[in-house]
Amino acid sequence: MTATDRAPAVEKPGQLIEMSWDPITRIVGNLGIYTKIDFPNQRVAECHSTSSLFRGYSVFMRGKDPRDAGFITSRICGICGDNHTTCSIYAQNMAYGIKTPPMAEWIINLGEAAEYIFDHTIFQDNLIFVDFCEAMVKDTNPSVLARAENTPAPHADVHGYRTIADIMRSFNPFEGETYKQALKVSRITREMFCLMEGRHVHPSTLYPGGVGTMPTPTLFTDYLSRLLQVLDFVKKSVALNDDVFDFFYEALPGYEEVGRRRVLLGCWGAFQDPAVVDYRYESMNAWGKAMYVTPGVVVDGRLVTTDLVDINLGMRILLGSSYYEDWVGEEPFVTHDPLGNPVDMRHPWNQTTLPAPGKRDFGDKYSWVMSPRWLHPETGEHLALDTGGGAYARLYTTALADIVDTPYVRSTGHSVQIHLPRSHQLPEQTLEWRIPLWSNAIERDRARVYFIAYACAMALYFLERAMAGLRRGDLKVFQDFEVPDAAIGVGFHEAVRGVLSHHLVIRDGMIANYHPYPPTPWNGSPRDRFGTPGPYEDAIQDMPLFEENGPDDFRGIDIMRAVRSFDPCLPCGVHMYLGGGRTLQQAHSPMFGASHG
Amino acid sequence: MIRVGRPDVAPDAPAHVPGVPEGNEGDAFHNEPGFHPDGTVDARRSTGIDPSRRNPIVAAMPNLPPG
Repeated sequence: MTATDRAPAVEKPGQLIEMSWDPITRIVGNLGIYTKIDFPNQRVAECHSTSSLFRGYSVFMRGKDPRDAGFITSRICGICGDNHTTCSIYAQNMAYGIKTPPMAEWIINLGEAAEYIFDHTIFQDNLIFVDFCEAMVKDTNPSVLARAENTPAPHADVHGYRTIADIMRSFNPFEGETYKQALKVSRITREMFCLMEGRHVHPSTLYPGGVGTMPTPTLFTDYLSRLLQVLDFVKKSVALNDDVFDFFYEALPGYEEVGRRRVLLGCWGAFQDPAVVDYRYESMNAWGKAMYVTPGVVVDGRLVTTDLVDINLGMRILLGSSYYEDWVGEEPFVTHDPLGNPVDMRHPWNQTTLPAPGKRDFGDKYSWVMSPRWLHPETGEHLALDTGGGAYARLYTTALADIVDTPYVRSTGHSVQIHLPRSHQLPEQTLEWRIPLWSNAIERDRARVYFIAYACAMALYFLERAMAGLRRGDLKVFQDFEVPDAAIGVGFHEAVRGVLSHHLVIRDGMIANYHPYPPTPWNGSPRDRFGTPGPYEDAIQDMPLFEENGPDDFRGIDIMRAVRSFDPCLPCGVHMYLGGGRTLQQAHSPMFGASHG
Repeated sequence: MIRVGRPDVAPDAPAHVPGVPEGNEGDAFHNEPGFHPDGTVDARRSTGIDPSRRNPIVAAMPNLPPG
């Protein structure tokens, strides 16, 4: 079992009270968290995470033209759809045996960098910070707010807020300055994205083998001027985040246990290097390592691999608590990969989705999410990897791998250094993200703001490389390709909130099998057939509670902070077929207000 | 009531006019005017009206026609 072991607490006799949040607000999609809480001992005794949604992309992608895959799979998500398009294009490039011209690769990298800046900012400042705002803390931990009023902010010279409570006031939804500024920044960063990929969030100019964006000097200077506009905000954000999160450790001793689990992280890499990438499976290890965010698997703080072939072959989709029938009796699509390695029947290339709706039963089946696991080649464990909300795993693997070395971002083997140039108000700055002691809610949240800085710094580098190509007159952005009768492909990318893979099998020129695996199936998976809980369940189970409210007015703020730190993104707006011609339409309205803890 | 004219296009008229090149055709890169095999382009990529007058005046300058 790969669950986190904790020392047993000295128990007071207590009774368990069931508490559930379904759906959880301020995230995308339909996630339910069902817990049993031991109030006398102030801890969560048991947790189940469930999703009542069935999407069926892997079912209806079959038989379609593979060239449509990027456009269709983009609709999986309403906030990171472009990550799906990009990942699908990587998979198609492999299947068609083509590569994107360098200028087009820089354009895709610039678009994706803008997406990371946009999405992490809006999630952190407009959704996560509601959990840390003055109104929320006053409601759940009044003594902490009183202390914050008298605690000076260590980085007041950078962000301008005198005390920690002043920062918390700036997080208040709709009214606070940080909240309002983040909305403006999200508009500017979306414009940056649209310059490169045509439309947010479902790109109109991304295709296999290239882009439809015309590279011109104006295109890149328009992007650059917007990027420089947001740099002040980013530098201030890093200082704000550090101040607030450090304060929480100080004000609530033991807060590092909130949302803590074993360091089991996966990152599938982002930002291709056009000089190295050829999209051939045989050389995937080389071009995977050349990515500007290094892919890898980290177990207990040790980097197990950075080889995308190992990562690919270790993927297993397990059942156990999900509403599906097993597909082991179905025909395998891919028995061996192009290097001759055997491919397991539970690998996404061989998966057949066989939905079997049923009643929710926490002793048996209770979620539409399957249980993706990664088979550790040395120990044989099926690891429930999480993505740490994306940013945390990306920084962790990049820091440990010690490969990325650019003028703006450098990995040191134990940290990531991010260099940002002078901006309108603030001087140039070198930030350093060091590998933290814990994989917990606070560190996942903190990593997010550092990755915004990372994406800004990488965008500057991509701009320089693209402009250099432009000055040489290199304007090739697309190339011809033929759809083969039979082929396989895989794309590895990072959606904003973590690992993303698309596995594609083409037969008779059509899609025979297609399986996208976004981050939240990894993070929000239920217990698998070995009984291993998914990351949300593992992080929340046995977690101490610091909320001052009792059972009657309990808000579950610590549990919400733990869940939201993973940046859950279960897709929304789902159509569920109930049989007999009835269609259930389900709509989800996010509740922004602090009163909906 | 809003008065409208008689529709002059059948709703099922094909979106494509025969003879007009389609992006979906094979070998699209080589059939596009103004694109060179080495990745550079010339003004013909952007306009069909007297493109040669819109190329750079010095050979050392990159050819950067507008989008």
